[in-house]
Amino acid sequence: MNPVRVALAVARKDLRSEWRTREMVPALAQFIVLALLIGNFGFQIDGHNAPTIAPGILWLALVFAGLVAFGRTFAAEREQASLEAMLMTPASPVAIFAGKALAASLLLVICEAVLLPALTIFFGTELNGDLIFAVLLATIGMAALGVMFAALVARVRARELLLPLLTLPLWIPFVVAGGQAVQSAMGLPGNYQEAIGLLIDFDILFVVLTSLAARFVLDE
Amino acid sequence: MSLVVGNGLTHWFGRELALEGVDLVIDTGEHMAVLGENGAGKTTLLRILATMLKPTSGQLQIAGLDAFKERRRLRHYLGYAAHATGLYPALTAVENLEFFCDLQEASRTRVDESLDVVGLASVAKRRAGELSRGMQQRLALARAILHEPRLLILDEPDASLGDDAADLLTRLMRDRTVVMATHDHALANRLCQRTLVLRHGRSHGTASRLRVVK
Repeated sequence: MNPVRVALAVARKDLRSEWRTREMVPALAQFIVLALLIGNFGFQIDGHNAPTIAPGILWLALVFAGLVAFGRTFAAEREQASLEAMLMTPASPVAIFAGKALAASLLLVICEAVLLPALTIFFGTELNGDLIFAVLLATIGMAALGVMFAALVARVRARELLLPLLTLPLWIPFVVAGGQAVQSAMGLPGNYQEAIGLLIDFDILFVVLTSLAARFVLDE
Repeated sequence: MSLVVGNGLTHWFGRELALEGVDLVIDTGEHMAVLGENGAGKTTLLRILATMLKPTSGQLQIAGLDAFKERRRLRHYLGYAAHATGLYPALTAVENLEFFCDLQEASRTRVDESLDVVGLASVAKRRAGELSRGMQQRLALARAILHEPRLLILDEPDASLGDDAADLLTRLMRDRTVVMATHDHALANRLCQRTLVLRHGRSHGTASRLRVVK
């Protein structure tokens, strides 16, 4: 069985469901804009301090939007009892996991397409390729971890509480390295290449670890 | 020839005994009904046969293979329709089946054939969430036969099917080995050669058609 075909089928199914229901993306986009608005009013933003404050607001909005996006990936499957039907097929759990992670990442990327221009509008910071690249790199590892923990907690009642408790500590490396990269991309002192190198290392580490763990998490 | 051989199948959910020492042999092409009250262990037994649940103890062989060591391989041969339909409400009937064709490595030509068998060809383009409960049940049955499984496991398939449940299930079960849980003794007698009666997780023996002990 071709795992790539399975992963693409799962991702296509999730994206098509989201396109038809529009359950998540509009709500997340609204949340992101509100978070930036609150940040904008909460701090005295001027031309000097915007590059210092904006990365913090960006990562806060991204982390909480990610928690919602990844939390829904398996919760909906459990509620519909469709995960069991999927796992009843000969398809590899790792391929199913990869498909779910791919779809959740793409949904978060759509939210980032709202977040990054909105950040520029509210904080007057520069939107450039380096910044976009750093955020996209962080999204990969955050998605792998977020979807794995979402699968793990989907079968328990207090999943909304457990997901942040499990996920946030492991997202800290992405926030730290991603924060440094974004600050550098916005013109503050810092080593952009080093931060990007760290993000790539974390991506590889967590994608491999979550892929190995996926079959145990998804199997009954 | 026996397709399914189970010995001493026992399962505990925590401290609760759900199934105790059930033995069963199902021959190729045979239809077996599993009868019993709510909580008798029917669904637990079916989930074990579908390799979705590993029994606490006991052995299970399907098509000569160890059901739990070879379960990924065996799933090519197994079709399972659970009590919950497990459909994607935002996808159409066709899209639901096409998705499972991709996961089962089944040809997409099977989609139309399966919809025909369950009588849903006319609503193929409607979203699953807009179908009635009975139609959703039919769609779940169509999904279970997409890959032409050798062993079909049905958990209360008649629950929402309406008056033509027996005819539909007859079409579905033709030329297949089937294990079906149901509360309907008359339906079990009509569709199955043998019945297995469970009470409190224990087998109260099997009986051939028209000899079901209440």
